[in-house]
Amino acid sequence: MNSYDDCMPAHRMVTETRTDTRIGHLKRQGFHFSLSLIVVAGLAACNLPERSRSLGDPNVAAKTLALQVCSNCHGVQGISVSPNFPKLAAQAEPYLVAQLKSFKSHGRSDPAGFEYMWGISARLTDDQINGLAAYFSSQAPPPGKPGNLTLLKEGQKIFEQGIAANNTPACTGCHGAHGEGIQQFPRLAGQHADYIVKQLMVFQRTDERPEGVMMKGIAHELTPENMKNVAAYLEAMPSSP
Amino acid sequence: MDSFICLYRGMKYSRLLAIILVIQALLSPLVADALPVFARQTGQNCVACHAGGQFPELTSYGRLFKLTGYTIGTRTVPLSVMGVASFTKSANPDSDVAFAKDAVALFQTGSIFLAGKVTDNVGVFSQWTYNNYDHQDLGSGKWKGKWASDNFDLRYADRFIGPTEDFIFGFSLNNNPSLTDPWSTAPAWIQYVPTKFGVTAPDASPIISQLGTQVAGLTAYTFWQQTLYAEVSAYQTSNGAWSFLSQGTKSQDQTNLKGVNPYVRLALSHDWGPHSAMIGVLAMNAQIYPDSTNPVGPTTRYRDRGIDAQYQYLLDPHTVTAQFSFIRETITNGDVTGVASNASNTLNQLRLKASYVYRAKYGASLSYFSTTGSSDATLYPDVAANPGTRGWVPEVFWTPVQYLRIGVQYYAYTQFHGASSNYDGSGRNAKDNNTLFLYVWGAY
Repeated sequence: MNSYDDCMPAHRMVTETRTDTRIGHLKRQGFHFSLSLIVVAGLAACNLPERSRSLGDPNVAAKTLALQVCSNCHGVQGISVSPNFPKLAAQAEPYLVAQLKSFKSHGRSDPAGFEYMWGISARLTDDQINGLAAYFSSQAPPPGKPGNLTLLKEGQKIFEQGIAANNTPACTGCHGAHGEGIQQFPRLAGQHADYIVKQLMVFQRTDERPEGVMMKGIAHELTPENMKNVAAYLEAMPSSP
Repeated sequence: MDSFICLYRGMKYSRLLAIILVIQALLSPLVADALPVFARQTGQNCVACHAGGQFPELTSYGRLFKLTGYTIGTRTVPLSVMGVASFTKSANPDSDVAFAKDAVALFQTGSIFLAGKVTDNVGVFSQWTYNNYDHQDLGSGKWKGKWASDNFDLRYADRFIGPTEDFIFGFSLNNNPSLTDPWSTAPAWIQYVPTKFGVTAPDASPIISQLGTQVAGLTAYTFWQQTLYAEVSAYQTSNGAWSFLSQGTKSQDQTNLKGVNPYVRLALSHDWGPHSAMIGVLAMNAQIYPDSTNPVGPTTRYRDRGIDAQYQYLLDPHTVTAQFSFIRETITNGDVTGVASNASNTLNQLRLKASYVYRAKYGASLSYFSTTGSSDATLYPDVAANPGTRGWVPEVFWTPVQYLRIGVQYYAYTQFHGASSNYDGSGRNAKDNNTLFLYVWGAY
């Protein structure tokens, strides 16, 4: 109560008759009963695999997992809101399969990987992994996001031509002329710039993504400014083709 | 009479079912990750659900985990433990022994959680807490410990989601209004790591924040398009079949509510880029018997109306969060006599908090609280006869590993019980209640 000295009145007022009390008791029992019913119904509810959020059940369809679990961070159509999480829409299917397997085997151990994905992928079956990759790769690619023109211009140069002075190759060689991704090389077009910069840092400074060892050499000479420019350009890239 | 027997059997059946499900969960395969139960269930790091790792504040994903009934993941051993060790130092502990205590409490409180996924649609978050300093023995003055019910939230949830629609709905059986809320502005969640030592909050507070572990409530809620959250609940005193929700509270200390008391909550949420914002309102009406041991006759009516907002910026390595909560309470005594001088009173509670965490390890926060209200010599027997209490709480904390946090808070009062100086008529000033609180919090 609002009193801070816990004062309570000493007198008691008895105004209800015995019948009133009994009716009150009945009402309370009714309330208890309806609560019990809902608790029992809830506890007894059978599994609904079409809307399950279970990660250890091989019977749950990949699409169900994509909608009920993956979408929480990556978006229903693979377009994540927060740059903490990569966009998966139209991502190269073999790349998605390889990443999920790498999370599952703890091969990929960058913070974004182990903090979120190790647990999510731990019990996925090969069928579920293939299904998830198929689901996200078949979504419409993310549209480009307008960015700072100076950054975009510098970024475009790196993307298309690389940096001759330090032997950094162009991104287009592996990731496609439009950043659309080819087989195990991921789509970069439309990806969150912050995510690209962080992953370039992971490649350059750590061995946490052994499957991307090729990128370690490529990113070796990139300055933080180079990374920022190329990431801004990739985030702004239009979704076609 | 037959119907009573059926009711009784129904209740026994529900309890039996609960016990069977708990045993079943206990026997399920053990996932040997050294993390508390929800982390074991999802296999994810604490930062996935808690903003910058600051328990209990939730991220967008954490809110969805809660609203979908704690059911994401794999069923695991549904047990966790938590412990708090603390040190409290009051600015001037001697002049009012009633509440301004100094304490080194190496082991202050410990909790056991029974929590996690039960079925694809049912999950639970329940906590029992041992307070090592529950009360002092009258003879020896020694502190005695006690186990008691703490938070309890048993949920049923379902989600219909597709390219254009996202509809989550659920039900909860719980023991605290706003415990079900996924935002940290909720009265049940805005203050954390509490201590019974020192002075760490205004004495007067709205009824909505005083009903924890006193009541049993049934909640229905929905979260539509991750935008509109709506919740309707009904609360009654947790006695009879529901007394397990208030276990450890003596009946004479338990708030006695008349009938069913409604709680309503609406919130609008929006995420863009690394930002997340919410604005909401809440309302609760409660009728309380003045004598908790004799629940008959007229009641005092409390009407709480609140507005709250939260902002979060989460982009590794930075976490910035801010909370605002304002609750206005109207207390009408009606035919109840003796508890207050006025026929009706008002009480306003304002709370603000901002925090920053770097790399989910090093954090700081600053809170401001201001409680104001109408003067009433019976309710507030100090000189000013007013609840007015204001102050600031700076805090720094360190999370060396994700299940251990070490922090220090300082409660600095500029006004207490309606005055900044000599509030008790014996020369005690508001700042004499300033309290330093150091805690070590751990969970497994």
